[in-house]
Amino acid sequence: MTTNMPKTKTQDDCRHQWKMTHLRSGYLVVEGCLHCRHRISTFSEEPVPPIDDYREEEHFWSHLGDFQASKFDLQCEKCAKNVRLADVMAIMLCMRCDPECGVYKAGSGSGARKTWVYVALCADTSHDSVTCVSEEGLRALNEYFGQNLHDPDKKILVVPCSLRRSVDNCQGVILADVGLTELY
Amino acid sequence: MNVSEMAKKIGLASFNSSGDKEIRGVYISDMVSDIIGIGEGNLLVTLQTHKNLIATANLVDVAAIVFSRGKTPAEDVIALANKAGIQLLGFEGDTWALAKKLYEIGIR
Repeated sequence: MTTNMPKTKTQDDCRHQWKMTHLRSGYLVVEGCLHCRHRISTFSEEPVPPIDDYREEEHFWSHLGDFQASKFDLQCEKCAKNVRLADVMAIMLCMRCDPECGVYKAGSGSGARKTWVYVALCADTSHDSVTCVSEEGLRALNEYFGQNLHDPDKKILVVPCSLRRSVDNCQGVILADVGLTELY
Repeated sequence: MNVSEMAKKIGLASFNSSGDKEIRGVYISDMVSDIIGIGEGNLLVTLQTHKNLIATANLVDVAAIVFSRGKTPAEDVIALANKAGIQLLGFEGDTWALAKKLYEIGIR
């Protein structure tokens, strides 16, 4: 049996047009281990962010800080492909503070006159493990933030936080709410 | 309408001189976690004057930022906005008064 239905575009050959989906507010919570000094980040959707200390195997995690932030996924408006960004805890603007940092170097190799490097922050802030934000997630984030730029000289580059040289010395600006209680 | 024409009609103060983009909409918010989801070309009206706001505004490519209630950004915030090519403007009245003025001059 034959059909006259047009061949539908597959997700693989689609030139994606991303939109934000599943946008939700919560708290970026940063915790540190008193023993090994590693740091981790989580995204809490609880009304009040958790601040209690707790033990997890050899780690003793203590609350270091929290910021109101948002989390989202991306979906293609053409092919409906959905990219879950579960491993992205927050996004940070690189302030180009350290020429030896991998994030700094990533922004130096671009041909665009005004390249702005943003860092996708994963849960493993100190990078005790080798995992970071997924390649698929990074690709979608780059396409999403680049798709509506009208200035041909401007480029948004999103890189994984595993490129960051030092979490202690980093002067990046996290896209999270600060000073909400100082407004009035 | 472009940013310069809007600023002149309403009589906004200017904290820097960074481009003259077209205004394609208006968004009013004081939360970075909210602004990250808006489309490009919006005039952002806010009370927040910190760097995190500029970092987010740059990512979503705003037309300009207006600080209402006489809020004034610090020098390092203005410097970051200059790098990003974001015009920073100021309005002495409250956000509702500014919203009315924007509507009156045809910005919807």
